[in-house]
Amino acid sequence: MEERENKYTALWLVMKRECRRLVSRPLYLFCMVIAPLFCYIFFTTLMGAGLPTDLPVGAVDLDNSATSRQLLRNLDAFSQTGIVANYNSVSEARSAMQKGEIYGFFYIPTGLSSKAQSQRQPKLSFYTNNSYLIAGSLLFKDMKMMGELASGAASRSVLYAKGATEEQAMAFLQPIVIDTHPINNPWLNYSVYLCNTLVPGVLMLMIFMITVYSIGVEIKDRTAREWLRMGHNSIYISLAGKLLPHTVIFFIMGIFYNVYLYGYLHFPCNSGIIPMILATLLLVLASQCCGVIMIGTFPSLRLGLSFASLWGVISFSISGFSFPVMAMHPVLQGLSNLFPLRHYFLIYVDQALNGYSMAYSWSNYMALLIFMMLPFAVVHRLKEALIYYKYMP
Amino acid sequence: MKEIKLKDKIAEGINDLFYIWKREFRTTFSDQGVLIFFILVPLMYPLLYGFIYTNEVVREVPAMVVDNSHTSTSREYLRKVDATPDVKIVSYCSDMEEAKLMLREREGYGIIYIPADFSDNIARGIQTKVSLYSDMSGLLYYKSLLTANTAVSLDMNKDIKILRLGNTTNRQDEISTYPIEYEDVAMFNPTNGFAAFLIPAVLILILQQTLLLGVGLSAGTAREQNRFKDLVPINRHYNGTLRIVLGKGLSYFMVYAVVSFYVLFAVPRMFSLNQIGQNNDLIPFILPYLAACIFFAMTASIAIRNRETCMLLFVFTSVPLLFISGISWPGASIPAFWKYFSYIFPSTFGINGFVRINNMGATLSDVSFEYKALWLQAGIYFLTTCWVYRWQIIMSRKHVIEKYKELKNKLVITDKTE
Repeated sequence: MEERENKYTALWLVMKRECRRLVSRPLYLFCMVIAPLFCYIFFTTLMGAGLPTDLPVGAVDLDNSATSRQLLRNLDAFSQTGIVANYNSVSEARSAMQKGEIYGFFYIPTGLSSKAQSQRQPKLSFYTNNSYLIAGSLLFKDMKMMGELASGAASRSVLYAKGATEEQAMAFLQPIVIDTHPINNPWLNYSVYLCNTLVPGVLMLMIFMITVYSIGVEIKDRTAREWLRMGHNSIYISLAGKLLPHTVIFFIMGIFYNVYLYGYLHFPCNSGIIPMILATLLLVLASQCCGVIMIGTFPSLRLGLSFASLWGVISFSISGFSFPVMAMHPVLQGLSNLFPLRHYFLIYVDQALNGYSMAYSWSNYMALLIFMMLPFAVVHRLKEALIYYKYMP
Repeated sequence: MKEIKLKDKIAEGINDLFYIWKREFRTTFSDQGVLIFFILVPLMYPLLYGFIYTNEVVREVPAMVVDNSHTSTSREYLRKVDATPDVKIVSYCSDMEEAKLMLREREGYGIIYIPADFSDNIARGIQTKVSLYSDMSGLLYYKSLLTANTAVSLDMNKDIKILRLGNTTNRQDEISTYPIEYEDVAMFNPTNGFAAFLIPAVLILILQQTLLLGVGLSAGTAREQNRFKDLVPINRHYNGTLRIVLGKGLSYFMVYAVVSFYVLFAVPRMFSLNQIGQNNDLIPFILPYLAACIFFAMTASIAIRNRETCMLLFVFTSVPLLFISGISWPGASIPAFWKYFSYIFPSTFGINGFVRINNMGATLSDVSFEYKALWLQAGIYFLTTCWVYRWQIIMSRKHVIEKYKELKNKLVITDKTE
């Protein structure tokens, strides 16, 4: 009984020691609060528009007829496209593209209207700069639609002249139409699509770094033995005492982004907030445990932090929220399971975005729980390192 | 008399500059930590990113089908969708509920729904609708589904129109289906690939970030090894600001001249990415970029007190910096505040200029805004570096003098007691 109480007091003492350490250096405040907060605000305000609108494009109108001007006016009316300049030739427009003034241009050749009227099939072209993938794809969609409409408008005038009703004309021009339903993100909002994973990703990266740093710096400053002694020479008590205060701070930061994204910005949260808060807690704990594994395998501050940086930065790409995992090399598809952010992303998709029951993402919850088991494999190595390792720059 | 003095001073300065350059060079190559950032990271990260995005595009997105029409027309439609490179039909479901269940179990990322009156409507000359339901966990799934279905519907529309018109010649068919033709030209990234779009930006960013980390690490080390936790050692060669800044800068520049050759020339070749820039545009552009990055890193390194803190401070900035550069999120849609904020970092101009020269074949005059901005940044950060180093020299002298006075006082006290 007494021993048990001793353990709790030891844990309490280590926690108090850690809290003192946390407030002793502004570095911790920066990494645990300021940096994540900055990123929350940065990403959500950067993509605040949701979907880019009025992307600058150019027009090369060599026809200069009523028809061609009508075409360009219609193109300009699309929400994603904004015609900002007229050029006299394709090479001028291409040069403007290389200067970065426009993301694409619409080319109307000479004799468009006369050729169309005399049934000689003129040809429009549009050029999109796909070096800027998002801008290029959005413009492609609008311009392709315009190309279809241009040809449709010409046929439609013939049909109207023959006495067809609008309904009949449309049924003739487009017998099959595609009706799209982007489930749960009907606005195609990029902020919803990216921020929901970018924001927790930054928090995860900082957790990796801070966990590794706070343990590694004890070895460096030769305070590791004192820390262990305070935790009754038990690595479990020492680690728990050290990491629990971090857990509290990071979890508060996690709750904050949940409230910010789903409560304030009203991103889709079809499952209710509770599963997401749970997923956030699991992400925080899993990331902390990953940090322990990192410093446990490489008990040198520099290598541990390098490992954390590598794993943390790669997480953003390999979790597949921008470029899907299914399109990656099979080796990477397997590797992606070793990143907590990947599982968090899948949970978010199932829960907040699609509102499925938690049972559908059980494998990902399990995976996050398994991350929490992993430190047991390295704690002995870590303890040895804490006692015997000498810091090497 | 005075002239000789100046001449001597310049000679001494240059001498010291090369002394500092040599010393910095030696510390760079003897410090494993700096080597990781200067050599290993630029060597490995581009390969890793290239490997992740090497497939460039998403192919064969699995999709479910609910075909309520069950006619030869609807089957033709679905066969054609399945034949596109973008979509692969994994299951024919009997109703929407079954398809939704499969969506939940991650068997596919979209549903193609064909209504019961699909071919009846076509036969009766009424417009008919094919509905697409796409999982929005990735926009590329949506894009693939939409691309495939649009292409197939346009193709079939054409055939239906031709059938109804009853023209006599092929040319007539062509003209009546498309009185005005159109063609699309995807420039500078014809495959619409992800790697071709993202990797060049990542490459440029890697140069800046590794410099920040490496220079920060060596600054932190210098401080830790210094008695007074100062950046500038007490050494007669470290007397002037200019010689320190230029000496260190030169040694970093020499390392990075080699590193950037690998990162910017060899890596794109390895992954067969776009590389249509002319060397006499690219090399003069990279020059101010490296200069700006080096002096930016040297200025920022002043904040680094310990060897390892640079990683905690700088690593996470990579993600926001990539987004703020205007490559993925279009520059035209970046709010004004963030746009001006992004002008602080060399990477913003570096990425935009490099992508335009390397991917889009722009000339130096096409990127003159970025080019000038980089020289301006190089100048400004050179001045700030000089300023912070000047401050550091003064600080370290002050510390030495204080220590000296302290010792002297002690000596006086001990003298008196004796």
